[in-house]
Amino acid sequence: MIPIRTTLDNSTTVQYAGLLHQLTMKAKSTVRDIDPQNDLTFLRIRSKKHEIMVAPDKEYLLIVIQNPCE
Amino acid sequence: MAMPLSPWSLRRAGSAGAPALAAGRAGGVKGPGRPAPLLDETLGVVSVPSQWRGVQGIRGETKSCQTASIATAEASAQAQTHADAQIQTETPEPVAVVPVSQHDNPRLVAFLQRVEAMVTRELNKNWQSHAFDGFVVNWTEPQQTVSCLHTLGYPPAQGQGLHVTSISWNATGSVLACAYGRLDDGDWSTLKSYVCTWNLDRRGLNPRQPSVVVEVPSAVMCLAFHPAQPSHIAGGLYSGEVLVWDVSRPEDPLLWRTGLTDDTHTDPVYQVLWLPEPRHSHHFQVLSVATDGKVLLWQGVGAGQLQLSKGFALVVQQLPRSTKVKKPPRGETEVGVTAVAFSSFDPNLFVLGTEGGFPLKCSLAAEVLALTRMPSSVSLRAPVQFTFSPHGGPVYSVSCSPFHRNLFLSAGTDGHVHLYSMLQAQPLTSLQLSQKYLFAVRWSPVRPLVFAAASGEGEVQLFDLQKNSQKPTVSIAQTQDGSPVYCLEFNSQQTQLLAAGDAKGTVKVWQLSTAFTEQGPRETEDLDQLAVEGAT
Repeated sequence: MIPIRTTLDNSTTVQYAGLLHQLTMKAKSTVRDIDPQNDLTFLRIRSKKHEIMVAPDKEYLLIVIQNPCE
Repeated sequence: MAMPLSPWSLRRAGSAGAPALAAGRAGGVKGPGRPAPLLDETLGVVSVPSQWRGVQGIRGETKSCQTASIATAEASAQAQTHADAQIQTETPEPVAVVPVSQHDNPRLVAFLQRVEAMVTRELNKNWQSHAFDGFVVNWTEPQQTVSCLHTLGYPPAQGQGLHVTSISWNATGSVLACAYGRLDDGDWSTLKSYVCTWNLDRRGLNPRQPSVVVEVPSAVMCLAFHPAQPSHIAGGLYSGEVLVWDVSRPEDPLLWRTGLTDDTHTDPVYQVLWLPEPRHSHHFQVLSVATDGKVLLWQGVGAGQLQLSKGFALVVQQLPRSTKVKKPPRGETEVGVTAVAFSSFDPNLFVLGTEGGFPLKCSLAAEVLALTRMPSSVSLRAPVQFTFSPHGGPVYSVSCSPFHRNLFLSAGTDGHVHLYSMLQAQPLTSLQLSQKYLFAVRWSPVRPLVFAAASGEGEVQLFDLQKNSQKPTVSIAQTQDGSPVYCLEFNSQQTQLLAAGDAKGTVKVWQLSTAFTEQGPRETEDLDQLAVEGAT
């Protein structure tokens, strides 16, 4: 997956894109394995520092990183 | 309108008045009494020769001058061949990001319109969500206290009363090396010393028997493991030499040495560091600093020789006068350098600690030549850009923060640790940690607000600036009888380990509690605030 638009710096973008694409594919196959009629619509990963949201699609992937106020 | 006086009337008046005056004067002469009658006399003729140039006649001489003839010769030259060449650098393409085209791909637009509503809904829900309040996951077994994992020593060195002068963790974080020497010797010593390494991950680790022992003919003052090669280690000696060993070769570990040439230091080498080469970032060079005022960069060339590739010399006269520094009366005096630390954000920027107690901000890219008479094969340059306000005694250790580009710590023999910002000469904050000397200070590689200091009272003190900025959070007593701790290093791969070496020749590896290894939520912001305001 190559990044098309980004608001972060290039190296971080490339890192996020590569890693999250793999994770999204794995999540999608997990959902399909549990129930073949089901499909992945949205992926959220919450970490200590922020929350990463991934909206998957056939051709594109939208990744949003939010810093929730603590 | 006034009419101008007619000139006729004026003249007439004047002429009418003149005969009247003349008559009056003549009358005046003959007036009083009977003067003597006017007589005629004839006097001799007085003549004055004319001095007019034309009467005197022309006196002249003829002279001529002529410039010497100019020698000329004709010669011609003609370039036989010439060639035109052009080069053009190409701007490096940014990695893997397709340049933005003016027209949006319509499918991209459709995709974004599809997901926009869902994503904004989730973002808004997140903003107000309390779902994760107070939810903390413990991935590892929490350690509440600091405990001593290993106590390592080399009995023959301890028997000679040697101190641990320096320790270093290797690139993989599993091997710890320590150097034996003496830090309180005042003169040349022919003491043999040792460099010992222990592999902490190996089974059957014998704390009294290092895995590798290298005998060195002079006292080793500092050590540094290669950042990429797990078995190469550089050391600086009391005699001023810099050696590089390969500890994976037990029969002949010495890889490179500087030898005792004109280029080598003439004073003990206080610190060595590995630096990546500017063009080939896989090759490294060794930087050494010593109290003779030189900062030298060595390159390993074939046949085991370390050659000087770049050098800097510090002279008091060339220090920028940002703060008042006592200047010696005359002569070039070298500034003895006792510590060096490179910034993790700018590869050319480094900080030096000096014997005079003032940290110096320097740059590898400096071009000004140093005014020094020390002989050297490479011209020495003056690297100093800024002088910070001094400690009360020599600075033995400086450390640049790995999380903030402007902060660095310095520890001196006055027992104080100063937190400086690169932007100002006065320290942001100053903490008194010990009544005696402080020998080493290091920032933690994982927690932006934590640092550790080694004191002359035998204690390793850990500071957490988030909790308490005046007292150490934890104070570990390394030695029972108060003999000083000379060096300490954090392990950047296994971040809960901290090693410290003391004057009894023992190296202790401490396991830190999880409070010191897990980063809290707002630490980077707190560090930025600290840099701006100073400690509260």
